[in-house]
Amino acid sequence: MTKLLFTSLTLAILIFSGCSQKNPEVDATAGNGTTEMSTADKKADNLSGMDSNNMDSQGMDKNGASAVEKAIAALEANINKIYFDFDKYDIRPDMKTKIEENANLLNVAEAVNFSVKVEGNSDEWGTDEYNYALGLKRAKSVKEALVAYGVSSDRIMMVSYGESNPTCKESNKDCWAQNRRAEFKLLP
Amino acid sequence: MIKKILVLVVLMSSLFAYDATVEIVKKMDKLPKIALQDASEANVDTNFRKKFFKILVGDLRVSSHFNVVDDYLQSSYKGNLEDNFLSQLNLDLILRYKILLDDNGVVVANVKLINAKSGQVDSEKSYKISKKNRYPFLAHKIAVELNDKIGAPSIKWMEQFVIFAKYIDAKKSEVVISDYTLSFQKTVVKGGLNIFPKWANKAQNAFYYTSYNGIKPTLFKVDVQTGKRNRITSSEGMLVCSDVSKDGRKLLLTMAPEGQADIFVYDTQTKNLEKVTKYSGIDVNGNFIDKDERVVFVSDRLGYPNIFAQKIGSRSVEQMVYHGRNNNSVSALDNYIVYSSREKSSEFGVKTFNLYLISTKTDYIRQLTATGKNLYPRFAEDSETIMFIKYYNKQSALGVIRLNANKSYHFPLKVGKIQSIDW
Repeated sequence: MTKLLFTSLTLAILIFSGCSQKNPEVDATAGNGTTEMSTADKKADNLSGMDSNNMDSQGMDKNGASAVEKAIAALEANINKIYFDFDKYDIRPDMKTKIEENANLLNVAEAVNFSVKVEGNSDEWGTDEYNYALGLKRAKSVKEALVAYGVSSDRIMMVSYGESNPTCKESNKDCWAQNRRAEFKLLP
Repeated sequence: MIKKILVLVVLMSSLFAYDATVEIVKKMDKLPKIALQDASEANVDTNFRKKFFKILVGDLRVSSHFNVVDDYLQSSYKGNLEDNFLSQLNLDLILRYKILLDDNGVVVANVKLINAKSGQVDSEKSYKISKKNRYPFLAHKIAVELNDKIGAPSIKWMEQFVIFAKYIDAKKSEVVISDYTLSFQKTVVKGGLNIFPKWANKAQNAFYYTSYNGIKPTLFKVDVQTGKRNRITSSEGMLVCSDVSKDGRKLLLTMAPEGQADIFVYDTQTKNLEKVTKYSGIDVNGNFIDKDERVVFVSDRLGYPNIFAQKIGSRSVEQMVYHGRNNNSVSALDNYIVYSSREKSSEFGVKTFNLYLISTKTDYIRQLTATGKNLYPRFAEDSETIMFIKYYNKQSALGVIRLNANKSYHFPLKVGKIQSIDW
């Protein structure tokens, strides 16, 4: 009797334990017609592009532009680029004469009616937002030096191009040194 | 007799069947082993199938919540216990999917999640995407939902758009919207120099960016759907929108109205501009923290770039990082700050920038990367994931760090150089 009870109990337990407590649900949604659209798909539907070239036309009046452009190009060809040390924006001693020469050039009769845009640039090291600020500090140092050498402050604008305007793209110290610079553009 | 009963009791407890999936969820230190099976038919070209598989398997790997079998495996969709359950791989789960293409370019994926131990189908669902080139988002959605199904921490960030600017030439950059793997890309602004794009809100239906195509750097807000842009403000020198408040109302701008880069708070409703930093050197890269009442930012006020914090409206500034001599980029979320730090030159003369994670409440500091140039970190919403820009071998890549798993992944950009990112 005890044996029978024991055997039945064992069998019963085996049978019941063979049934999993949680049946994996078979979610038969396929074929029900409900397909889930990706959220990003709906968002992607809305993406449209634009061409800034068509929006920001700052072109000069074409008539008579070429004479002014030529004059500007001739002057710009003689303006010195000013170079900076790594992570620095103060004017190096070897650059002071070059700024003075630039100031003299900017005050000649042919140039004095043009505005001057000082463009600050950096090498590729570091994050770009910091580099834009560094480029701007370089432009500011140059502006202040030009003013000290007699160029009217009202003529001078500053802009920073950060790392966006390298003159060379090699990965070596010479190239990086060439990119750490301020350049000059004349505007009518 | 009693011995026999005891043996029986022990056997009882071990014989009750369990749901393998639930067990896996409870013990995330044992990652479920999963294989993918492509059950698509021959009319779906092999190249597309392989690309889709690569994204899906990549998503599961990046989630760090699965032990993924990398092999490309195929199966019939129906399958049967003997043929298609890969018993030799000792799997926990099988994700079997079938891609269908229709004439209109719509892509449908029928997906089954199979419990590999029992052979039972746990769930079955269909997904669709309306254009073939958006297939990465189809894969991301499947991965996100599978991850939710096993009860793992959400990876919803995988479905987010990333917006980035890339340099294509000197003074030329474009703004692109993509998925996090850069497999889907759509150029949304081109022509001239367009930089520092920033999402305007969580819905990602508008963004800010700086255009250099006018006389002065100008900040625009673009409606993603119409492509229409509105001018926000201009500044001589430079202009960057570095952060947007949680409600989308306020912007942190780095601008230089007098040629001096400082951080400003701009209220998009009142159009009020309030100067936050007043130091005469470099202050950039502001991020809102502490319910958008404080700003963490990069400044060179100690003679080198470092990370500081300041309450808006107050003059007192707190130094946040006491490690490194050049910490030039920062992102903040809750009590955590991640920043990029220039390491000393190695003996081989190569400059390295590494990412570090610190807590604002403790002395906790953790190095996140080891080599290369790692810049521009940005936290995801879930604080377990950080995106950044990685430069190596003259190529730039979008990097993703999964903090809990201590793993980092890179997705190279084939053309151009990544300038800035947001997501």
